[in-house]
Amino acid sequence: MAELTADHLPAVAHDDHGHMSEEEHNNNMKLGVWLYLASEIVIFSIMIVGYIIFRINEEDIVAQAHEELGVGLVTANTFVLLASSFFMVMGLRAMQQGNRAGMLRWIGLTALGGIVFLGGQYIEYSELAHLGIVLGFDTASEWSTFGMRFYAPTFFHGAHVFVGVLWALEVLRRGARGRYDNNPIGIEMFGLYWHFVDVVWIMLFTLIYLV
Amino acid sequence: MAEAMRHEGERHSNTVRLLGREITVEGGVYTVVFGALAVLTVIEVLSAEFLKGAIHDLPEAAATLQAIKAILLLGIAIIKSSLVIWFYMHLKSEKPLIAVVILLPLLIAGLSIMYLLAIPPSGYGV
Repeated sequence: MAELTADHLPAVAHDDHGHMSEEEHNNNMKLGVWLYLASEIVIFSIMIVGYIIFRINEEDIVAQAHEELGVGLVTANTFVLLASSFFMVMGLRAMQQGNRAGMLRWIGLTALGGIVFLGGQYIEYSELAHLGIVLGFDTASEWSTFGMRFYAPTFFHGAHVFVGVLWALEVLRRGARGRYDNNPIGIEMFGLYWHFVDVVWIMLFTLIYLV
Repeated sequence: MAEAMRHEGERHSNTVRLLGREITVEGGVYTVVFGALAVLTVIEVLSAEFLKGAIHDLPEAAATLQAIKAILLLGIAIIKSSLVIWFYMHLKSEKPLIAVVILLPLLIAGLSIMYLLAIPPSGYGV
């Protein structure tokens, strides 16, 4: 049996006191977020599959829904979310360059983008409610089958944006106190979540509003 | 280590090599990617509106045009998503394990979608 000596151990694993190195700690934190996002993919996939099957089987209702929905407001909202993703990555970049003020400015803009997106979604939902496109509890309504397929993924996504805004505000609070000056992993973890929310919206926007 | 440092340098550089030319812009590759995302979104929306009109005007070719529309728009959406994941989420510089973590559920979801789509709308008539 090969003798196990210190030479055989990974160089970056632990220090003399058994503590992880910062690099390994950061990698573990990121892996944790990626695993969480993998579980989110499965949840969103279920909703997307439900919509796709409905889309194939109920072409007339979806075509009518597209007429009612329009693309103006939701396209503007999509641009806001794409821009917020850009602000997010610029915030991380600023912190990695040691620019705390820049990071606070960019992450602040990210949170603002999320709030504007939620405002746009609220306006859209209000307009749709006026048109009678509501959740599918009223079986007499012609929209009864469409409502749930539309609101479930978009509202679930909106809830993620809401959580993201809260997270951004927490990053701002911690960042202002210098928490990320030496190790910006907390910003990077939030960034992974925020960009994922953006990726989900890119797919939902195309599937629900355009195709 | 050298690879990691190279990626770190790319993230912080304002100079990007694009279509054989070097361009300098504040934010570097991140700004270029945002520009690409914005342009692709405009193309996506304009294509959708154009094809919607074409489907309305040519009902005899509606099925074909609808298929073209779906493939084109989903293709653009996948390109946009990939840009965000590759550059903004830095999958480009992550370990291969991360790619496996994210691709595995996508593969399972894709297979599940194929399976569910194969079920006839009326069920199996049991």
